[in-house]
Formats: sequence, structure tokens, C-alpha cells
Amino acid sequence: MYDVIVIGSGPGGYVAAIRCAQLGMKTALVEKYSTLGGTCLNVGCIPSKALLDSSEHYHNASHTFTTHGIELKDLKVNLGQMINRKNEVVKQNTDGIQFLMKKNKIDVHQGLGSFVNNTTVKVTKEDGSSSEIQGKNIIIATGSKPSSLPFIKLDKDRVITSTEALNLKEIPKHLVVIGGGVIGLELGSVYARLGAKVSVVEFMDSIIPTMDRTMGKELQKSLKKIGFEFYLKHKVTSVENKGKEVTVKADNGKGEIVEISGDYVLVSIGRRPYTDGLNAEAAGVKITERGQIEVNDHLQTNVPNIYAIGDVVKGAMLAHKAEEEGVFVAETLAGQKPHINYNLIPGVVYTWPEVASVGYTEEQLKEKGIKYKAGKFPFMASGRARASMDTDGLVKVLADAETDEILGVHMIGPRTADMIAEAVVAMEYRASAEDISRMSHAHPTYTEAFKEACLAATDNRALHV
Amino acid sequence: MSKEMRVPTVGESISEVTVGQWFKKDGDLVQLDEVLCELESDKATFEFPSEASGILRIKAQEGDTVEIGGLICLIEEATEASSSAPSSQPSTPSAVKPAASGEVKDMIVPTVGESITEVTLANWIKKDGDFVTLDEIIAEVDSDKATFELPAEATGILRHVAKEGDVLEIGGMICKIEVTDAAPVAEAPASSAAPASQASSSSANYASGHASPAASKILAEKGIAPTSVAGSGKDGRITKEDAMSAQKPTPVAQATPAADPKVAEAAPVVPGSRNVRREKMSSLRKTVSRRLVAVKNETAMLTTFNEVNMKPIMDLRSKYKDQFKEKHGVGLGFMSFFTKAVCVALQEWPAVNAMIDGNEIVYNDFCDISIAVSAPKGLVVPVVRNAEAMSFDQIEKEIVRLAGKARDNKLSIEEMTGGTFTITNGGVFGSMMSTPIINAPQSAILGMHNIVERPMAVNGEVKILPMMYVALSYDHRIIDGRESVSFLVRVKQLLEDPTRLLFGV
Ligand SMILES: Cc1cc2nc3c(=O)[nH]c(=O)nc-3n(C[C@H](O)[C@H](O)[C@H](O)COP(=O)(O)OP(=O)(O)OC[C@H]3O[C@@H](n4cnc5c(N)ncnc54)[C@H](O)[C@@H]3O)c2cc1C
Repeated sequence: MYDVIVIGSGPGGYVAAIRCAQLGMKTALVEKYSTLGGTCLNVGCIPSKALLDSSEHYHNASHTFTTHGIELKDLKVNLGQMINRKNEVVKQNTDGIQFLMKKNKIDVHQGLGSFVNNTTVKVTKEDGSSSEIQGKNIIIATGSKPSSLPFIKLDKDRVITSTEALNLKEIPKHLVVIGGGVIGLELGSVYARLGAKVSVVEFMDSIIPTMDRTMGKELQKSLKKIGFEFYLKHKVTSVENKGKEVTVKADNGKGEIVEISGDYVLVSIGRRPYTDGLNAEAAGVKITERGQIEVNDHLQTNVPNIYAIGDVVKGAMLAHKAEEEGVFVAETLAGQKPHINYNLIPGVVYTWPEVASVGYTEEQLKEKGIKYKAGKFPFMASGRARASMDTDGLVKVLADAETDEILGVHMIGPRTADMIAEAVVAMEYRASAEDISRMSHAHPTYTEAFKEACLAATDNRALHV
Repeated sequence: MSKEMRVPTVGESISEVTVGQWFKKDGDLVQLDEVLCELESDKATFEFPSEASGILRIKAQEGDTVEIGGLICLIEEATEASSSAPSSQPSTPSAVKPAASGEVKDMIVPTVGESITEVTLANWIKKDGDFVTLDEIIAEVDSDKATFELPAEATGILRHVAKEGDVLEIGGMICKIEVTDAAPVAEAPASSAAPASQASSSSANYASGHASPAASKILAEKGIAPTSVAGSGKDGRITKEDAMSAQKPTPVAQATPAADPKVAEAAPVVPGSRNVRREKMSSLRKTVSRRLVAVKNETAMLTTFNEVNMKPIMDLRSKYKDQFKEKHGVGLGFMSFFTKAVCVALQEWPAVNAMIDGNEIVYNDFCDISIAVSAPKGLVVPVVRNAEAMSFDQIEKEIVRLAGKARDNKLSIEEMTGGTFTITNGGVFGSMMSTPIINAPQSAILGMHNIVERPMAVNGEVKILPMMYVALSYDHRIIDGRESVSFLVRVKQLLEDPTRLLFGV
């Protein structure tokens, strides 16, 4: 009898397992794939970042090196090697998780986990053999899968999802991306940098529509420079594979149908919670209409000893959100009282420039009727950014009009994915914009831009614009 | 309904003001307390905040000179505003501000004594935003030697810079005073009308009481509401340390879940609090503790005892105490006898009144007697100076004066420095014998104890007499046994036959 069984080994599941083990619980981890790490390590965050970095190097080598005074001859892409390196990175990471399981004395059961009842989980191996394990508590961390539209046939050859996009054999000549969200723009960037024409078809009137509006606008400008074209407010009505070509038809809102043809179509319209094969009904676990596992504020399902975390429950589908929830549940089981500030989970888009944000967007503040002031600082005015020729983007700080408390930080620019951490720390401590502007920031760094934006928000006191 | 806004009384000698810049346009919707315009007087420029929410109707234009009480504008209360804001709102007398001179007085930690480099801000007597007058006491500051009061260095609005508990260096900023001519006219009604919560939150801000992520987890586990914790972080944020040392306001008997009966048998639960409390050491106590240990380590301390028949003194006291009180207005205590006796003995055995300074011995031709007093913040030792030349009543009066100041934490550094010998009376708490620790850099200390009836042999007879043990702890490095023992014997002699004090024999 285990104290805890965790189903799914993504960032939610494996982190929950480690924290449970740290807290002295006898822990089991069930994973249907032979490698651990879930979406994030195998077909998500890590491989996409590996390709983004590789393609970024190529892009710089072909576009900016001469300006830096570096000349290269016969520059070309070896996509096979690029994908191999990515696979190597993935392998190192998933092996790392394997090691962490051993180190923490967590039993890993390889096979599909399904509920027999609320304390028993059946583990079915690929060869059909199965065994049963029992646990006092069970944590569901089965994650998500790419979702699609009913009329789209994902043939995984020409009409693909992010998973296939990470393993293409050739660089597309024209990649049509359905969905202007994070995954589509990141993978679109990879191939745009390698020379593909990329067309993004988005239903909403802005890309990355869940983020602050300024970010979408700025990112759109930057991506256009590397060969993106955008069809905003376009509703895809059909996708047709014609062998070597795929045609996407979309309604442009004016009653006209626009036709876009490319050699590959990436469907990245979102992800859906994944509970297939879990047999949650056997334990009596409730699943919502949207396919999510229903949980309360303690991430507890309607069955008291069963919890659920990560992409399979409500909230942002982000690896670090899943991790926080993993720790949260483990500590809750140990009788502690942890909590998560969902408003302060940062969101990042790893395009170049990178987009990162935390807290409220300007639109949300308006909607809530909160009086705020905004301070902006463009990277064009940053010494560090000019030295590195990364002058696209800006930092925007939204602070309460009266108290000066920072309510939202939105950044687009070089390395903002790392810089956003400072904003998270500040906001966890409820810092005011002036607090940040009174802290010394090393010069020259990109983080100075955050300080300057805070100065701008404080009293319009930015020094370098 | 519209509200008339007139020029407030801004200072004694000011009879008119000039309207400066208008920040709002005629017809604008303005909020309560929003600044409408600037008014300039010959002394200062000040802001003119709205006394109500509503539509602004400007009556005096920029550059107009208006007398005190003259009409500046009307606020037409928007129906919406007046229905949502009850009539109590417009009456907030916030508009009347004292004429600020614009000058701001920075107050820094004064030099309080040679060896003191830092002080602790013990508590604010005046709140942030309070109106204070010159020389009014605004805060109490602890140093490792004494507590002293900090008087305002200007008249005006107090702005706290340091927080209670902050350790400040000499020269460090304590507060600012925004200098004003006179007390704000409408201050009294304003502060009395303001709800208590507002008053107390004057130094607080939106983040006060906000617990850091780690702190909020700890508090949740302890079941303590963040609101009941005083945060020590910036603007009152609750730090992890605050959370760790936070306690439940009332330790309600914990509802222990139905315990295993076997366990209950093994360890019977005795009802009673298991509560512990932690309090910061005052800097005085910290210093005393550090010095006491240092003295034990750095001197060759030895204690010698003797006994004193207290009957003669007691007889003398009962005989003269009423007359003494009548004549001098102070009681005749034991301290004057002991102080006098000690002074005589010190002059005879100067090493006991001396101290080591490097490779030299400093002999003192005077007797400055430190008297140990237990004060609220720790032991203090004020000094009776030139006690050898004082009369009984002078000594008694001086001791009463110093003890009173010690109790109120009002002793100054000078009053506590420079003693040459110390008397401590453990007897007041009932001790019969103790080995007092030298008050460095002095070399010796006399310990008095309580008086008990004991059989004593007097001329071959056993008599029951009131007896006190006296102890002399001394630094054997400069005081030899001959001197210390002879000193104590001499003190005993003088006390057992006080008339000797009169004749100096
Ligand atoms: C291309 C791409 C890029 C991304 N980039 C980022 C990024 O940069 N940053 C970020 O924060 N997020 C990113 N994400 C999202 C991130 O990957 C997910 O939010 C995260 O992986 C969710 O973690 P999880 O633990 O909830 O689930 P998952 O990582 O999906 O893991 C679930 C695991 O459970 C297993 N499983 C499912 N059902 C069963 C069963 N019945 N029995 C046994 N095992 C089962 C699955 O095989 C899988 O291994 C990206 C996603 C994609 C697709």
C-alpha cells in the first residue's frame, strides 16, 4: 500500500512525486510512455526550446553576424542534425528525471494507469500484461493533448500538431499555422528562421490574444520582419490535404473566403485535458463538460483521497503551474497549508523577441475599473540592447494609480523570459513601482529596462528616454 | 445642493491669498480631497483640496486675490455622488491645512555619549502625520546605556522615517518635520472625527500586513490571521521571521482529536498553558549581559563576606527618623549609613576605589558611588557624586532622585558614568548572601543583603540580633586580600558603631 500514487510523469506528476517522497511518503509514479517527463520534456517545452535556440543561432549567423564583423561562408542548415541534438537534449532531461526518481526512492510503474476503484490503480503494459497497485491517496496528472477542430483531419503528415512539428524531415517552404497562440508562434518562428514562409491564421483580432494587447502588437511587428504574415480575424472553415500541398480556407469576416496554400499546416489551436484510458468513473471522479477533472481550491476531486493537477485541471496550461500544483498537493497531503497565487504565475512566449508577463493586463484592469498608471520603456533606449542589436520591444509596468503597487508587468524583448522573475518577486511582496526604481540594477543589463519602466510608472521619471 | 469652498485660515498673520494655478477646469467632475488649485500666501504656497465630490464651478480666477473666508469655488454635488456618499463625507474638514513654510527639518540621532555608536528607536510617542510643536517629546530612544527622550526640533507635521525597533547609527535619520507656522486650525475636529482605524493606519499603506509567500504558509499552518501579526518588513509586510515568531492571540485549549486511549494513559494530560513568549531584548539588557560576562572573564574576581550587627543603626533610625523626615523631607534609610561608611573606608583603602587603565592604576581622591537600581529595562547604576562630602540627607535625597529617574527610564548617560565604587542591595528582594559582579571598570562592589534575626555571641553571651551579611567582590589584580578584608571590616565597624562616622574614627 503506497501513501501516494501519482498517475502521469509530466512536470506536475514527477514534481508531486518528488515532494511526496521528500515529505516521507511512500510514493509510486505511473507513466504510460517509456520515458518520463510528460509533454513538457518529450514534446513540449524542452524540445521546442532546443529547436528555437538552434534556429536562432542560424538566423543570427545568416542575418546579423556580418554586422558584428563575423563572416561565414557556405552557411547551411542540417535539419537532421538539429533534430538529433534536440533529441539528445530531451534524452538527457528524461534520464535526469529517471535518476531523480531513484534518488528519491520513488517506484516507477511503466504502463497505462486506470482506476479500479478509489484506492486501486491498474497498470497495463504495452504487451497487455497488467498489475494492480494500491494507494491511500492518488494524484491525477495526466496532462493534455493537442486539440483540433471537428472538420480538420490530422493526418500527421501534412496536417500536423506540435508533436510532429518538432520532428519534421524537411524545412517547409510555406508553413500555414492555424492559431496565433504561444505554440504556433514558437514553432512558426523555428521554421521562419530556417527560411520558411509562415502564415498565421487567427480567429481573434490579435496574436497571443490572452496577453496584454501591446505585447501582441509588438510581437506581430517583430515577426513580420522574419517572414511571418498574419490573417487576423479569420475563421478557418476547411483544411484540405492535396498530396504535396494543403489548402486552408478561412472566412475573413467580410463574407469572403480566403484561400491559403502551403506545404504543411500546423494546427495549434490549443490543448485539451487528457483523461483517455484513465477510467476515472471507476473511482467516481467527476469530469467537467470541457473534459477537465473537477477540483476544489485544494485541488481535491469530488473523491476526497483523489487529487488532480496540471493541464488536466482548470487554469493555465503551463509547466510551472503544474509544478506548483504538484508541490501544493504533496504538502497538503502532509498536513501543511501551502498556497498558490494564480495571479502571479508568469506566462512566456519564447519567440525572439521573447514575451513575458505576470499579473493583470491593461485590458483586465480597465474591465475591473481599477485606476492604474502605465510606465513604458523601449529596448531601443537600452544601452545593453543596443550593444547586442536586440532593440525590438519594450517593458510595460502597470501600477495602481493611488498606491503605486505593481499590478501587472508585460515585457517583450531580449531575455524577458528570465527578467520576468524579478517582477514576480516584486509582486509577491507587493512592491510599488517606486520600490523597484529605487533598487540598483547592474549596468548595462536588460533588467535596467524594468527599472526604467518602473521609474516611468512612478512619476514619469524614466532617465534614459 | 452645492458646497461653497472658501479660503481657509492658513496662519495667524495671513489675511489674504492669491489664487495660483487651477488644476481642474470649470465644470469638471472632481472627487473629495482631489487638489483643485494652488493658493499662494506671502508665506507659502499650499494646495486647495476639494471638500466634496461633484461638479466644479470656479468663482475666483487665477491671479485673483481673495481674503480669508472669501469664496473660491462651488462644488455642485452630483446627484449620483451625493446619494452614494452620505452627508458625513463633505463635512470632513480636510481642506484646512496649516500654512506650510515648505521647509523640512530632518531630525537625526544626536550624539548621546562618547562610546555610543547606535541607538534603538524604542517607541514613537507622536504618530506619523501628527502635528508637533518645538521641544515636544516625540519619541523614546534606547541606547545600551540609557533611554532618552527625543524632543521635536521644529514645529510642524511629523513624518516618521525610522520605525519602532529600528537600530539607528548616530547621525542616522529619525524623522522629518514639515515646518508649519501654527497648528492646523481644523486639526482637533479632524482627528476626533476620523475613525480610529484611519488614525492608526496613518503610517501603514496598502501592503501593510501582507505576508510573504513563506510567511503566509506558516501563518496558515499556525492558524493565525495575518491581520493579527505586526509585520516588521517594509511598510509592515509580514516576513518569514515574523510568521515564525507569531503566536495565537489566545491559546485556546487545543481541540485534540480523540486520542488513542493507550497514549492517554501513559501521559496524563495536565491542564495548563504550554505557551511560550519571546520578546526582543532591550539594548540596555543586551549590553548589561555582554558586560557582565566580559567582567567575569576579564577580571580576577573574588568575594569576601562579613556580618554586621544592624541593631545600632536600627536604634538610631527609630530614634531620629521622624525628626529627620520633618527637617529634610526625606526618609532616613540604610543607604546613607552604608554610603558614608563606604566613603570613609574607601579613603582609607584607596586601592578599593581605584581602577586599572592599561598598565596604570588610577586612584580617585573622591568617592563617586554607583547605586545599582533595577529599572524596567534592566539594571542601571546611577552615580552619587562626591558622596564623601555629602551629608546624610543629601545622600538620601540624591538616591531618591536617581531611583525615580531610573524607574521612568529617564536617566541620562552622564548620570550613569564615572562611578568609582558600587553599592548593590540584593537584600531588598530578600537575598541573604550573594557574590555581586564588579561594575567595570571599577574594582570593587559592596553587596548589601536582607536583615535577619540571628543568634550572635556578644561578650560571651548569645543574643538574638538583627544581622546582615555584607559582601565585597573585588578585582584581585589590584586589590590584595589585606586591603579588601580590612576594607570590609572597617565598613562593619562603622556600621556597628555609627557614631564613629561623626568623629572619623
Ligand atoms: C510544443 C509545446 C511547447 C510548450 N512550451 C511550454 C513552455 O515553454 N513553458 C511552459 O510552461 N509550458 C509549455 N508547454 C506546456 C507544458 O508542456 C504543459 O503545461 C505541461 O507539460 C503540463 O504538465 P502536466 O504534468 O500537467 O502534464 P503532461 O506534461 O502532459 O504529462 C502528462 C503525462 O501523463 C501521462 N499519462 C496520461 N494519461 C496516463 C495514464 N492513464 N496512465 C499513465 N500515464 C498517463 C502522459 O503520457 C504524460 O507523460 C508546452 C507545450 C507544448 C505542446
